[in-house]
Amino acid sequence: MRLSRIRNFSIVAHIDHGKSTLADRLLALTGTMDAKKAVDQVLDSMDLERERGITIKAHTVRLLYRARDGQEYTLNLIDTPGHVDFSYEVSRALAACEGALLIIDAAQGIEAQTLANFYLASDANLTIIPVINKIDLPAADVEGTRAQITETLDLDGDEALAMSAKHGTGVPEVLEAIVQRIPPPQGDPDAPLKALVFDSFYDSYQGVVVHVRLQDGRVRPGTRILLMSNGRTYDVQQVGVFSPDMRPVEELSAGQVGYITAAMKRVADAKVGETITEAARPTTAPFPGYRDAKPMVFAGLYPIEDTEYEALRDALEKLRLNDPAFTFEPETSLALGYGFRCGFLGMLHMEIVQERLEREFDLSLIVTAPSVQYRILTTKGEVLDIDNPSKLPTPDKIEQMEEPYVRSSVFVPTEFMTAIYKLAQEKRGEHKSLEYHGKRVHIRFDFPLAEIVVDFYDKLKSISKGYASFDYEFADFRPSDLVKLDILLNGDPVDALSVIVHRDKAYEKGKALAEKLRAVIPRQLFEVAIQAAIGSRVIARETVKAMGKNVTAKCYGGDITRKRKLLERQKEGKKRMKQVGRVEVPQEAFLSVLKS
Amino acid sequence: MAIGQLHPVALAGVEPGDASLGFYVHVPFCAQRCGYCSFNTAALEAGAMARYLAALPRELDLLGDLPWARRVRIATVFFGGGTPSLLAPDELAAVLDRLRARFAVAPDAEVTVECNPESVARAKLEGYRAAGVNRLSLGVQALDDALLPRLGRLHDARGARAAFASAREAGFGNVSVDLMYGLPGLDADGFARAVEAVLGWAPAHLSAYALTLDAGSRWAAAGVAGLPPEEAVVEQYWRLARAAAARGFEHYEISNYARPGFRARHNLIYWRAAEYLAAGPGACGFVGGVRYANVRATPRWCETLEQGTLPVDASETLTPRQRLAERLILGLRTADGVPHAWLDERLAGDTPLRRRVDAWRARGLLGETGSGVRLSEEGFLLSDALFVELL
Ligand SMILES: Nc1nc2c(ncn2[C@@H]2O[C@H](COP(=O)(O)OP(=O)(O)O)[C@@H](O)[C@H]2O)c(=O)[nH]1
Ligand code: SF4
Ligand SMILES: [Mg+2]
Repeated sequence: MRLSRIRNFSIVAHIDHGKSTLADRLLALTGTMDAKKAVDQVLDSMDLERERGITIKAHTVRLLYRARDGQEYTLNLIDTPGHVDFSYEVSRALAACEGALLIIDAAQGIEAQTLANFYLASDANLTIIPVINKIDLPAADVEGTRAQITETLDLDGDEALAMSAKHGTGVPEVLEAIVQRIPPPQGDPDAPLKALVFDSFYDSYQGVVVHVRLQDGRVRPGTRILLMSNGRTYDVQQVGVFSPDMRPVEELSAGQVGYITAAMKRVADAKVGETITEAARPTTAPFPGYRDAKPMVFAGLYPIEDTEYEALRDALEKLRLNDPAFTFEPETSLALGYGFRCGFLGMLHMEIVQERLEREFDLSLIVTAPSVQYRILTTKGEVLDIDNPSKLPTPDKIEQMEEPYVRSSVFVPTEFMTAIYKLAQEKRGEHKSLEYHGKRVHIRFDFPLAEIVVDFYDKLKSISKGYASFDYEFADFRPSDLVKLDILLNGDPVDALSVIVHRDKAYEKGKALAEKLRAVIPRQLFEVAIQAAIGSRVIARETVKAMGKNVTAKCYGGDITRKRKLLERQKEGKKRMKQVGRVEVPQEAFLSVLKS
Repeated sequence: MAIGQLHPVALAGVEPGDASLGFYVHVPFCAQRCGYCSFNTAALEAGAMARYLAALPRELDLLGDLPWARRVRIATVFFGGGTPSLLAPDELAAVLDRLRARFAVAPDAEVTVECNPESVARAKLEGYRAAGVNRLSLGVQALDDALLPRLGRLHDARGARAAFASAREAGFGNVSVDLMYGLPGLDADGFARAVEAVLGWAPAHLSAYALTLDAGSRWAAAGVAGLPPEEAVVEQYWRLARAAAARGFEHYEISNYARPGFRARHNLIYWRAAEYLAAGPGACGFVGGVRYANVRATPRWCETLEQGTLPVDASETLTPRQRLAERLILGLRTADGVPHAWLDERLAGDTPLRRRVDAWRARGLLGETGSGVRLSEEGFLLSDALFVELL
């Protein structure tokens, strides 16, 4: 296939601006899928993605389009995840493209993610086509949006297309612009194979299916390939394209996007960002920017029923096949018994894993308070990496504690600057730089990772009315005055509720945590004393009073079934409680550590 | 489930295990709906009562046609509501006659009618007695004239006292009074005064229900102001328990007190997980391990019977595990408690549960009766927490 007939592109947008709707339209219009058969929003294929309305994994579709010049073009659409936990994955997916459609809602105008995505796409040197969507809405302001594009983005607003993805108006022009404006891929089909892995998933029949963008060379069944980061070699079994289901082809060559299977057993064998080449004739220049996706947040996962431990381990192993960024190893807790310490890219990633375990594997879980990884220098001169607060040595054995810091970027309209600085201060942020871009500012802060993993993004969004965007990367470990905060229930410490916090925040955090626990721990036959303590010093105390009365006075005219059903419902609720010593602690208590 | 098709057949297919049964008759009509009420009631519209009274005998006939109907004895009859005392004596007599025609009603059967004070003049009660009624349950609820209208009740304190006196004059020796506690705006002293007043009438039996905001009631939907805190409700429970004990009443079920020999025989059937038939809209019965419930809406219930079908809407065959759980949670509502064997069967192999039950014992919430275990009066107050475990 001639490179001049290929276009590789992404669609990027602030959430709800119409990315998925446009993708569906493009599929229908190019006959890639029968419009009648079109399941709404095909690209968000996992149940979870559809429910949450966010794309978690990259997806690829090949569209065949006969342009107005009479030629048929292959358009490879690469859909990207929409959350900062996955920004590395987004950057790799964009690296596989030459262009991007930047969708902007005509009624909302430019929003935070519009800007963040614009920067990601510019960093990847993509040709960006601004597309104003939802022009059918009464509140649509197309001209205003054009002006905003010119002002805020480094683009010409007059060149923006206008469409209604919902009704189809203007969508043919979008297809035409993809062909006209986005450059075809460049590459040499005869040079050594050089392919970028931008996603992969595990299929129980084919093993790992690797999504690739070929820069140079060719690959076909039988080609012996080499994975440059780990030196492994495999024989290719199948190559193909997504249209949108997997369809085998004879060969993929320079400029094309498709998939490779090669009997790989684990997704970890071909990670995002990997360069694939020929074993016999390797390329000399792998793609830059590869890194191992490293977990940033750690939490204990425990089955509510001890008997589900094995089932949990099997489920974790299966999930990991598909998700190399997620790690786990066995651990035990005095309070919770046998479980696993798991590592995640961020909180969304953690929630997704938890939800998948509960839904796809039907497990009931306790997730302990997430923690970052601390670096401890002991008095004996050892260096320990601690990701579980209960494993922290006692203060007398600690010479120095260090916590991970990130470098972050915040983009925000100037009117929210004061609020952002205040939030940054609360979160122990160190200001690094400030730049004005029209009506917006770009502020750089360094933050302790622990301060931003949990609810920073949500807070940022709410104080900026959704306009701020945020991105971060790991910087280094820095010495910090940290203490371990313990929670005691009726005098017994509950290891799974311990957290490591900065000394200045310990009191406030301990108080909030005790209050929160009082609210979520149900009343029991006896009084429950909740204490927050640093070492032997109690800094906060709350009490859950003993149950005073719990009785259904009447059995209505012999309607015993109704009474039994009511009790059965209560029993269902109790299934989500873990017995810690004599106290029944509900699942949400462990996560309340987060939210206080 | 399709009405009147599958379920009546299911009812025909079961055999009662007990030789004698209770019989519940639901009379759904109320002149006005009380704020806390979540019972199956119907408005007293023109013609509704007549249609109901035409349909009810058909239901008794259809039940009487069940293959085993002739073999069982009816030991108790209970007219509940709604407001059964809206029935005229001859209407009630007709229902009882029909029941006797279809079933072997024991000569010494306990026959109870729930009465609202405003609807019971002496003459009516004399008529009930003549029809064979031998027990009344009087829905007094409160004796505070400011509170009664808030509850949606149509009587005042004087009316309640007069109704009780009428019952006595009509010759009823077995009269029960219903009271409520935990009511909005009623403090422990106010409640204790009502208890003293009622005990002063010397009823045979007293029921006292803590107010609950059940789904389906107006108060549950719209809320109600002035609900007392939990401690106050608990105090009211204890004031009543002490006052009733001082007058020689036995606290024989969570919400029920009786002078010796006057326990409610019909309700004891429920608490012993024994069998009973039921007629009337939304009425629930239990026969041969099957719990069934009638169509709730009164017009649909009438319609089904007019078409000649039993108005059974839902039925459920209890699993052995469910039967055991019900026996425990119903039996433990009473002072008689349950035999050791039942509890042991439930606890077999469930060490965590055994440990939790032991905790109830250790706290004096659960105690020995000699042949079994029972909840203490303190345990009654917390009973649902144990019942949830025992399910
Ligand atoms: N009125 C109107 N609504 C649209 C249009 N495009 C998308 N939407 C609606 O906007 C919402 C978000 O669209 P979606 O494609 O899921 O956005 P995404 O989050 O960017 O993938 C959905 O309710 C769509 O139906 C459009 O052109 N006009
Ligand atoms: S509480 Fe009794 S009288 Fe009041 S509406 Fe309900 S059934 Fe009728
Ligand atoms: Mg979407």
